[in-house]
Order: sequence, then structure tokens, then C-alpha cells
Amino acid sequence: MNTNTIQLDDSKTLWERWQRNAERNPDREAIVHWVAGEEPFRWTYKNLIETAKKFSVKIKEAGIKKGDVCAIIMHHNPYFYPLYMGISRAGALPAVLAYPNPRLHPDKFRQGIEGMSQRSGLDYILTEKDLDPIIRPLIEKPESTIKSVFFPLEWNFKDEVDPQADREIEQISKTVKETEPMLLQHSSGTTGLQKPVVLSHCAILNHVVNLGSGYNLTDKDKIVSWLPLYHDFGLIACFQIPLAYGITTIQINPFEWVLAPILLLEAVTKEKATLTCLPNFAYNVLAEKIHEDELEEVNLESLRLIVNAAEPVRHDSHQKFISKFQKYGLNPLALAVMYGMAEVTLGLTVTDSGKPITELAVDRNELSLGRMKLAGAGSVVRVCVSSGRPLNGCQARIVDENRKDLPDGTVGEVAVKSVSMFDGYRNYPEKTAEVVDNGWYFSGDYGFKYNDEFFIIGRKKDLIIVAGKNIYPEDIEDVINQVEGIIPGRVISFGEEDEAMGTEQVAVVAETKAESDKEKNDLRLAILKAGMGMDINIHKVYLVPPRWLIKSSAGKPSRKANKERILSREDKQVWSR
Amino acid sequence: MISPELKKVILSELDLDDFDLQDTTIAPEVPGWDSLNHVNIILAVEKFFNVKFKSYEVLRLKNVGDLQTLVNSKTGK
Repeated sequence: MNTNTIQLDDSKTLWERWQRNAERNPDREAIVHWVAGEEPFRWTYKNLIETAKKFSVKIKEAGIKKGDVCAIIMHHNPYFYPLYMGISRAGALPAVLAYPNPRLHPDKFRQGIEGMSQRSGLDYILTEKDLDPIIRPLIEKPESTIKSVFFPLEWNFKDEVDPQADREIEQISKTVKETEPMLLQHSSGTTGLQKPVVLSHCAILNHVVNLGSGYNLTDKDKIVSWLPLYHDFGLIACFQIPLAYGITTIQINPFEWVLAPILLLEAVTKEKATLTCLPNFAYNVLAEKIHEDELEEVNLESLRLIVNAAEPVRHDSHQKFISKFQKYGLNPLALAVMYGMAEVTLGLTVTDSGKPITELAVDRNELSLGRMKLAGAGSVVRVCVSSGRPLNGCQARIVDENRKDLPDGTVGEVAVKSVSMFDGYRNYPEKTAEVVDNGWYFSGDYGFKYNDEFFIIGRKKDLIIVAGKNIYPEDIEDVINQVEGIIPGRVISFGEEDEAMGTEQVAVVAETKAESDKEKNDLRLAILKAGMGMDINIHKVYLVPPRWLIKSSAGKPSRKANKERILSREDKQVWSR
Repeated sequence: MISPELKKVILSELDLDDFDLQDTTIAPEVPGWDSLNHVNIILAVEKFFNVKFKSYEVLRLKNVGDLQTLVNSKTGK
């Protein structure tokens, strides 16, 4: 055992753990809040807990009670963290939501929050003053579950906490049981179809132990992240895990990172970070979109673990990353892969840290028939990257359409079980029943098992994952169906591989009677604008004549069949741009 | 004032025939110009004008007018 391995205590709630961490190491840095071009804001454990206590008193004064769901919609701000913790201390459930992009139409944003509140039962929104005019109409609606909106950044924290109020909150905090809900996160980022996942304190605390052990975490580790905290990869791996372990996390503004990817490398170099988490596309961006002369001072020697998750892992992306950064101190063995989902808190399988990731060159044609066969002479090769073995407390198996086990090397659906399983989708029992059976969660992902390792190769569900963000095609199709010039109901959307960016991009296929090039270009622009209104970038538009789309047995256009037909690029009737 | 050259590079990268790019135009107003694509547009502008921007210069850009000013400062205009 590594001498720096952290012995976790027997805390029953996250608040209890955070407090104990602050007592043990009051002056240790908890969160380094990174802002481009400025000195970072540094929270020690002691300061963080004290400020969280102040927030918790304000939260109680605001009328927020144990069990209430509090959506936090904020920009990258150093006070986000103690606010989140203060909500938890008061026994309420924090739920982090994305701050709306300027391109997102206010109606669409409200519609998303409304849909979410009906499912999740959002009780309060804690946000910034700028959003008041957009959010206020939601609260005033008679059927709204949202009771009020608050602006915590406007609260006064200069005064000391009233000891009586503090004691009252501590008492409330002590009534929270480990089996009670701690947080609510959403399984997808788009508007209409989010599935609210509730996680208990014990699910998270168990996961902290198991994922921390999978990462071989020690008290020397520092986790750096630019991932948004409304995403489970950011929230659990880069916020909950370090704080529960009592180590340091460095938080970079996601909006700044995407404009200046070098920020991550700067933060690693200056803070000597040891661990980071990246969706696959970020490997391409870091490897190919930064000028060499900006990298002169970059040193990645401290990084011992770089975890790829949240979207399909691509062999080429890893190769590009290694070949670019080895000369800046990158250890190729630092690369690792994780597979998981919000429904099991986050991680399910992970590759061994410090060891090469298993990659299999397999026959692509055999794989499409559901069989893994190592490539031979004449094979069209696909390189499958391992997602590793199940973490402690987790199980995985590959099943057929009747949910019966399949032998190793056969492609099927990945079914999973974990001690950190969710308690079902909140207020959505019919959806929970669809995917959970006898304690197993049926993920909708396709993969195979080989030599005890799991390889994820595709999805049963039609989810599109762009740069780690989950998008449901139904959301896009609903909007595009309303574009003038499109034949209503005759639209499909799918994810199209973008090798250069190492991710999927959104493609739309729509039937139209438009014939001239000008009409089709105008229609494409209208489709792009409709996508913008819901903050989705439609990368490619395919226009086809009436009755072109193949229908499924249910009578609706089939995404799978039409995607294959489009990508075969054989039909001259298809107009694309 | 956005130069015809800068406009051409941006629209070409976004595969748009035309779009009214003004000094005050911000990326979210332009079809296809999202955060993922932003880095590609910046690289295309650098390539066309044979200039290099520092990451912090890119971070400070608020609108297309700022990008034009940055291009001008690099090309000595």
C-alpha cells in the first residue's frame, strides 16, 4: 500500500466528511479557483467550511428546508463552492444547471427549466441577478413547482454567523441519514428529456472510496479540471471526490478553457496537478489547436493520471496527444479510460492506472455482425480501446435483447450494478422500470467483454454525444419540424463522426419540396438558426425529396436506417452542406 | 468595420454564403459559430493573414470588431 494512501473516516454524510477534512487539514488548499490572467482564488478547507456555514444560515433564513431541491445556475464563481456545500448542510439537495448561452432563446431556456421542474420538483433557483427577468415568469406561473428565486452572490457575508442559527442548522444537518438524497443531477444536457438522477450520501461516499481506489488516490494528488459542474464527470470526479478525500482541486472556467485550451496545461504546470479528466474531443483540441511557441513553459511531468470518459474513446486521439506532449514531460502511461454513467454516480469500469491501456485491432465487418474477431490479413480494422475492469463494488455484464448473458467476445448491451446505484429517476417511475431490472441498470450502450476487460463500441439508444454533451435527437427533430419548408414529421437527426475533432457532430436529414439551390441554401440557414435557438450547433444538413426517408415498423422515420443510407453517400438525390 | 477579407475567411470556415458581420456581432449570433468551432475559426484567420494570436488575446475578444482590431494590430494596419 502506498504510504500516502488516504484512510477515509466513517462519516455518514458529505457535510460531516467535509467538516472532518477541515478539522484535520484546516490550512490545506481545498479549491483553487482558476481565472485566466488573474491570481487564482484559493480556498483552504477551513475558509471554505466557514463560508459554507454562512451560506447555510442564509439558506435557512430564505425558507429553504431539508429535502428541498435547489437548482444553482451560476457562472464560474468562487462562491459557487461554499454555496453548494451550504445547501447540503441545510439538508437540501443542490442541482447544478448550465448557465444559458446567449444563443439559447429565453423561451427555450424557460421551457427546459419547466420540463425539469415538473420531473425533478425544483423548489428554488439560486442564480445571478442577470437571469431574474428570464426566470421570474416561471415562478409566477400558477402550476410552477418553483417557489422562489434567490441571488446568493448578493448576500452579505461580512458578519459572523449567529451562533444560535448555526447550532440550529447543525442540528438539522445531523438529522440527515446516509440513505437520504444528497444531490440531484441530470442525465442529459438538453431540454425536454432530462432524467433526474437522485444520489444518496452513501452512494456518493461509497463511490468516493471505489473510484478513489481505482485512481489510486493519495493525499499528494491534486485534481485539475475545466469540466462544467453540471456534468457528472466534472461534479463527481473533480469536485465531490477531491473534497471528500480532503485533497486539492483546481477549477478552470469551462467557457475560458474552450477559447484558450492552454489554460489547462498552465494550471497543471503551475499547480503541479497530478490528475485530470477529459472527454475525448479535448485530447484532439489540446494536441492540435495550440501553437507550439505557447507551450515553452509547459511541464506535464506531475500528471500521473489523465482519465478519458463521457464520450466514445478514440485510439487516434490518444496517439495525437501522446506524440504532441511527450516532449513536455507527459508520461504516456498516465492515460487511462473510464466508463460510467450518472445512474451509478459516475464510474463503473476503469483501466489500471500507470499501465498501458489495452487496445484491440478487430475486424470491423465481424464487429458489425456482433462478433469480436481479432483482425487478420485482409480485415478492415477498427481499433477498440478498453474501458477497463469494474471498480470495487461494481459489476458489469453483456446481455442480449432478452437480457440473457452473452459469452465473451460477443457484442451486446452493457448491464451494470453498483453499490453507488441511483435511487431511480425522480418522479419518473415508468422510465426507471424500463431500465432497471432486479438491481441491474441496462445502460443502452453496446460493447463486449474480452479477457475481463470491457470495450464499449456503440449505443442502442440514439443519443448524440458532442464534446461530452448528451443530446437527444428528439429535441432537435421537434424544433426542425417547425421550420418552414420542411415536411412536418419527416426529419431525423443523428451523430456523425468528426475525426478531426475527435467527437460526434449533429447532422439533420429533412424531407423538403424545395428544388433550387437557392431554396435549399435558405432552408439550410433556417435549420441552422432553429438549432441555434436551442443552443445546438447543427453541423451538417442533408435535404432529401418527399418520401425519401425510410420508415421504421412504427411508421416513423428510422434514424438508424436513414443514417446508414445517408452515410453510404450513394444517392444523388441527397443535397448536403 | 469588418474587412472583406476577414468576413470571407469567417464565412468560408462556417460554410456560409453570406451573413451581415458587424463590429458588434458576437459569435452566438452567427450560425455555426459555437465554442467548439471557435478555435477553428481563429486558426483559419491566423492562417489567412499569416499571423499568430496568443491565447490570452483570443480570450479577450468580445465581438468580431475586436477580432478585426487584433488582426489589424498584427498586420500593421
